[in-house]
Parts: sequence; C-alpha cells; structure tokens
Amino acid sequence: MADRTLPRILQTPAVLLLLIWMLVPLSMTLYFSFIRYVLNSSIRPEWTKPALSNWRGFGNYEYVLNAKDFWFAIQNSVFIVASILVLTVVLGLGIAVLVNKSFPGRGIVRVLLISPFFVMPAVNGVLWINMILDPVLGLQGIAVGGLNILIDGLRDFPVLGWFFNLWPQIEPISFRATQTSAYAVIMMVTWQWTPFAVLIFMTSLQSEDESQKEAATLDGASPWSQFINLTVPHLARPIAIVIMIQSIFHLSLYAEIEIVSRGNGNKNLPYLIGEFANNNIGAASATGIFAVILANIIAIFLLRMVGKSLMD
Amino acid sequence: MATVAQQSKLSSILWPVAAWSIGLIFFFPIFWLVFTSLKTDQDAVNPEHLFFFTPTLDNYTNMTQNYDYWKFAMNSVITSGFATLFALIVGVPAAYAMAFDPSRHTKDILMWMLSTKMLPAAAVLYPMTFLTKNTLGIFDTHFLVILVLCLVNLPIVIWMLFTYFKEIPKEIIEAGKMDGVSTWGEIKDILIPLAWGGIASTALLTFIFCWNEAYWTVRLTTFNASTLSTLIEGNRAPEGLFFGRLSAVSTAAIAPIVVLGWFCQKQLVAGLTFGAVK
Repeated sequence: MADRTLPRILQTPAVLLLLIWMLVPLSMTLYFSFIRYVLNSSIRPEWTKPALSNWRGFGNYEYVLNAKDFWFAIQNSVFIVASILVLTVVLGLGIAVLVNKSFPGRGIVRVLLISPFFVMPAVNGVLWINMILDPVLGLQGIAVGGLNILIDGLRDFPVLGWFFNLWPQIEPISFRATQTSAYAVIMMVTWQWTPFAVLIFMTSLQSEDESQKEAATLDGASPWSQFINLTVPHLARPIAIVIMIQSIFHLSLYAEIEIVSRGNGNKNLPYLIGEFANNNIGAASATGIFAVILANIIAIFLLRMVGKSLMD
Repeated sequence: MATVAQQSKLSSILWPVAAWSIGLIFFFPIFWLVFTSLKTDQDAVNPEHLFFFTPTLDNYTNMTQNYDYWKFAMNSVITSGFATLFALIVGVPAAYAMAFDPSRHTKDILMWMLSTKMLPAAAVLYPMTFLTKNTLGIFDTHFLVILVLCLVNLPIVIWMLFTYFKEIPKEIIEAGKMDGVSTWGEIKDILIPLAWGGIASTALLTFIFCWNEAYWTVRLTTFNASTLSTLIEGNRAPEGLFFGRLSAVSTAAIAPIVVLGWFCQKQLVAGLTFGAVK
C-alpha cells in the first residue's frame, strides 16, 4: 500500500477544480476591495477600469463600515438565519414526534409533509408573497376582508351585538415593508425547511432504544420527562446536523429576499453586495470579504461542533 | 388503569387527526398554487371565485406563448442533467480513492471541500461576472451554467458518495486487486454495481439542487442559457395582475422535481446528513 500515486491522481481533478473555483474569484474580490473601482463615473473615468494606480487601501472597508445599511444587513442576516433555525428545529421536533407514531395513511402524510422541500426558491417566494400573503389579492387579504364582513354582520345581532361592536376593523398586514418582509422570508423558508428537519429527526427517532423507554415507563417516568431525558439527548446529533446544513444554505439566502423585498430596504449581506455591485465594485468587494469572514467564523464553529461526528 | 386506556383511546383518534392536519397544512400552499393555476387571471383575484369557478387549462396551453416555458424548461433539463453527470464523473473516482485508500490528509480534504460550500456566493459575484464576460467570453452560455452548477454541488456529491462507499467492505475491493483487476475495472465492475443505489440517490439529489439553484443561474445568464429559476424571478413583478398564468408556469416549474422528490425521500436523509443520522 506504499504507492500513493493512484489515489492522488483520482482525487486531483476534484481538488484542483474546487481550488480554482475558490481561489481565483476570491483573490479578485480581495484585489478589487483595495482599489477604487466603479462601473460608471463621468467625473473619474479612470476608476471604471481595475488598476493598481487606483489603490485605496482600506478605504472601501471604511466606507462599508460607515454605511448604516451594512450593520443593518448583518443584523438582518443573523436575525433571519437564527429565526429560521429556531423555528425549523422546534417545529421539526414536534412534528417528527407526531408523525413517528403509526397511524392510518402515514405514508401519504409523509409525502405531503416533505413536498415543500422540493419547491424551487423562486417559486416559493412568488407563491407566498402573491397568492398567500398579498394584503389585497392574496389569501390573507381575502381572509381578513371576509372576517371584517362577518364581524360587521354580527354587530346588528340583538344581544351579542354590543360585544362585536367593541371589535375594531382588522387591517391586513402588508408583507412588503422593511420589517414585515423579513418575517415573510422567515415564514417561507421555515415552510420549506421544516420538512427537512422532520425527515431527519424522524429517521433518528426510529433508531431510538425502545427498551430504555419501556423501562422508564415502568419506573413511572412521565412522557414529558422521557422526551426531555431520553429523546432529546438521542436527537442531539441530528439537531446539530440540521443546524449545520441549514446554515450553509441560509447564509447565502437570496432568491426569496430578492423577490419579496426588491427595493424596500429589507436586505441581508448577499443582497447588499448585489446592490453595491450595481455600480461600486470596490464597496461590493469589501462587503464580500466581510461576508467571507462572517461565514468562516460560523463555519469553524459549526465544523468543530459536528465535523468530528460526521467522520465516524 | 382505566384512565390510561381511555387516554390511549382518545389519542388513537386525536393523533391521526393532528398528524393529518399538519401534513395538509404544509401541503396547502402547493395545493393552492395548482388550484389557482386552473383559474383565469380574472377569477384568480376575484374573492367571489375563491373556491367556485369554471376550471380551465388555458393557462397551461398558453404557457409557451406567455412565457416561452419550454425554452427555459429545456435549459433546466440540459444544465441540471449535464452538471449532475460531470459532478459524478469527477466525484466518483475522488470518493473512491478517499474511501478505500485514505491518507492522513483525507479528513482535512473532505472538511475543506465542505467549507468551500460555505463561502458566500455573493462575495465572488462581480469577479465571476467579470471573468466570464470580459476574459473568457462564456457569459450566458450553457457551458458556464453547467460548469458552475457542477462546481457548486461537487463538495456535496463527494461527501455523499464517500459516505456510501465507506459502507462497502474493503475486502471486496482488495479481493479485486489480488485478482489483478485494474483500477478502472474495480470502479466499473465492483464499485459501481455495489454502490448503485447510493450513486443513484446522489445523482437525484444533485439534479434537484441544480434545478432549484437560483443565484448563479440568475446572475450569470441573461437569456440564452436561462433556467426556470430565472423565468420565475423575472416574472414576479406584475403584482396581482397575472396570478392565474403565473401559478400555472410555477406549477410547471416545480412539478417534475416535487414528483421526483416523492420517490427519493427515503434516500434523501442518508444523503443530506452524510450518513451521520441513521
């Protein structure tokens, strides 16, 4: 087994491709982040070509750090990802326990549940923001309108009318404002990724040691304490994996934000980079470097947490 | 004990009801999309026709005319298909070497590959546009989309294959070596038949990810090589105007993948968790 040439040759294309894919664009981003580089400028046309003579040092970084959008985007990125993680894990645990028991039609329920995971992000965004959440034409608007008509009708009711008179008209929520559209994004991504968490937790629940549970039942442990003391520790690894995989995907969340929040101020880091890249490439690149740093911090943390268990 | 029996009787009714409700709630948005696609654009935004209307397939028959659907669908099939194929061609030998001839660097290489997946795509957006437009001149070509989709998914492909290959007893491969089978022969005649199920689910999952990818496919194409993601993102603008036809084209964009997903949901877990959850 001394000959290591062959395994190396077999791995070379994959390693080389990924290395180029990672290094070439990233080093360009690094270079652009240190120069003045814009796409259009009538006053300083020399800035429209990338050149070392336009060196700006850390100027782009300073500019980005002072832009109030930047801190908002970081905050918003973290808020959106964290909310999705908490919601999917909590909902996923509950639903997995629910669906894990056998009941008539379990196979069909499984199929219904997993379906959202396969919906492409662009359709997810279009479907939720238009057909479901639109304050006038979507289901939300229609439901709120119907509810208001119902309450209006009840106001004329002989005895109970006074009670319904106390109710105000319900206003539909517009999910296209800055803050609410972040909620809309959280909602649609949670809808899409909860099935993923359910599927993984369910698989893990099936391998749980039943005899341990029976012993606990005989010892008089309540179902709740069994869940906390036996099931949750058993699920620790799947929870860590769900968090890791989702972080990989959601840190670069883009399509949903693009569709829901075009121009309304709701943004995460990838979206802010896209905005800068419309003209100021220097600033876009500096923001990109910050995004890489943020991703690395999270990646190191996550890989430490679950990386070892993946290798066993 | 009577209370326990009563409790279990109650829960034997409530439990399925709760589980079914959750399943239906999660499926409802997809149902609603399909349901809306059967309405005319007028009916789709008319509360009076919320549930009762004359269903029509016009939105589907007019899809080519309204959206040029087939062009984008063909692009999706071609790019996702070839990207999956190339990712497997590069990934199978690499995963084979890592699983059966690991060196002390194998772990690090695998971790490094996974970490490339964590690099935010947006950080390299402009260099990619610059390179492909100005330097290489491959912007908005099928070749570029295939290449990028292949690279984006390569780490996951290798990880998944590695997990499946690890399950195969080393002795079988060793026995092949003893018999003087060449490496290519080992891969073709021993590994691929044995790991066929794993390779197939890797391929399916990669195809799904490629089909749904919405960052690079949107940003690196304008028209020629645009996929269904671009088509849907590009048509989101007319708020409320064309709910009917927008629903139809969206349904057509997700239907193949959702149906494909139903068939491979069992393999999905092993694939997506890299075998760490059993």
